[in-house]
Amino acid sequence: MDAKIGKFFESVGTFFTGGDSIPWCDSDIVVGCEREVAEAEKGSTDELKSECLLRLSWALVHSKRSEDVQRGIAMLEASLPSTSSPLQMREKMYLLAVGYYRSADYSRSRHLVDRCLEIAPEWRQAITLKKSIEDHGVIGIGIAATAVGLVAGGLAAALSRKK
Amino acid sequence: MDSSSGSEFDYLFKLLMIGDSGVGKSSLLLSFTSDTFEELSPTIGVDFKVKQVTIGGKKLKLAIWDTAGQERFRTLTSSYYRGAQGIIMVYDVTRRETFTNLSDIWSKEIDLYSTNQDCIKMLVGNKVDKENDRVVTKKEGIDFAREYGCLFIECSAKTRVNVEQCFEELVLKILDTPSLTAEGSTTVKRNIFKQKPPTGSDEATSGCC
Ligand SMILES: Nc1nc2c(ncn2[C@@H]2O[C@H](COP(=O)(O)OP(=O)(O)OP(=O)(O)O)[C@@H](O)[C@H]2O)c(=O)[nH]1
Ligand SMILES: [Mg+2]
Repeated sequence: MDAKIGKFFESVGTFFTGGDSIPWCDSDIVVGCEREVAEAEKGSTDELKSECLLRLSWALVHSKRSEDVQRGIAMLEASLPSTSSPLQMREKMYLLAVGYYRSADYSRSRHLVDRCLEIAPEWRQAITLKKSIEDHGVIGIGIAATAVGLVAGGLAAALSRKK
Repeated sequence: MDSSSGSEFDYLFKLLMIGDSGVGKSSLLLSFTSDTFEELSPTIGVDFKVKQVTIGGKKLKLAIWDTAGQERFRTLTSSYYRGAQGIIMVYDVTRRETFTNLSDIWSKEIDLYSTNQDCIKMLVGNKVDKENDRVVTKKEGIDFAREYGCLFIECSAKTRVNVEQCFEELVLKILDTPSLTAEGSTTVKRNIFKQKPPTGSDEATSGCC
C-alpha cells in the first residue's frame, strides 16, 4: 500500500520535473477564480471583470483536468477577437498556447508561441513553452500521423466495403 | 530502508519567491538557474523552475516557484504558498515602496496562505549594483529581518553578487530544521502535489503532526 503511494508520487514527480516547466494549477484555484468571476458579474467595472476572466483562463489552461483546459481554450478563443489592448492580446495568446500545449495540439501551440515571440523576443515564459513544445513535438507529430493513418485506413476499409 | 529506489536526490524542496512587480524575482531565478541576465517581461501568473544542487553534502532538487508581483494576479499566486519549505521575499533597494510593501502586503500574505509553520523565510534586497540609486539601507533590511525572524541577504541578479549564497543559506537553514526534513523525502515530495487547504487558524500553536 505504502509502496504503491510512493510509486505514484515518484511517477508524478518524474513527470512533473521531466523537463516540463509549465506550472500546474489545482482545481480549488479554478473554483476560487470562478467565484470571483461570478461576483464580478454582479456589477463591477469592465476592467475588473476582464481581470477576473484573465485569472480564470490562467487557472483553466494550467489545470490538470482536461475539461478545464478545453473550457479555458474556448473562453480565450471567444474573447480574443474583441481584445483591443496589445498587452492583453499577447497575454491571451500565450495562455491559449499553454492550453493547446496541454491538450497536445502542438502545432497550433507552436504557431501562437511564435507570434508571442515575434512581439516580445525575450519573453522567458514563452521561450520555456516553446522549448517544451519542441520536446513533445516529435511525439505529437507521431500521434497525429498515426491518427491520420488510422482514419485513412478506416475510410479506405469503409469505401471498399461499400463497393 | 531505501523506499525510493532510483531516486537521485535526498530531498525535494519547494521554494517560493514573492515581492512587488519589478523587484527582480524572475531575474534572480534566471541568474541562479542559468547564469544569465537579461531584460524580462513581467511574469504572468506563476512560473516554475527546477534546479538540482548539492548543498551541505546532500543532493537536492529545488522546485522554485516564481510568482507574479502584479496585484491583478494575486488570487492566483496565493495558492502556491502551500507546502513551501522556504519563502524568498524580494525587494528592490532602489525603490522604497517595494520595501514597505513587505510589511504591508507580503508578510500578511505569508501569514494567510503558508501552511508550513516552520517554513524558513529569507529577505532579499536586490539590485545592489545600482548603489547610487539606493534608498533602502542595509541596516533597515537587517532590522526588518531581525524583527520578522528571517534570514537576510543583499544581492544583484545583474552582477550575480550573492545570488547563489541566497539560495544556499536558505536551503542550509531548511536542512537544519528537523520538521521540514524529518518526514523523509517521499513525504516532502508529497507536500507539493497534495496541497491542503489553508488552515483557517490565526495562531496554530500545536505541531504539524
Ligand atoms: N540593475 C539591475 N536590474 C535588475 C536586477 N534584477 C532585475 N533587474 C531588472 O528589473 C526588471 C524587473 O525584473 P523582473 O525579474 O522581471 O522582476 P519580477 O520581480 O520578476 O517582476 P514580476 O514578474 O512582475 O513580479 C528587469 O528589467 C530586470 O532587468 C538587478 O540586480 N540589477
Ligand atoms: Mg517575474
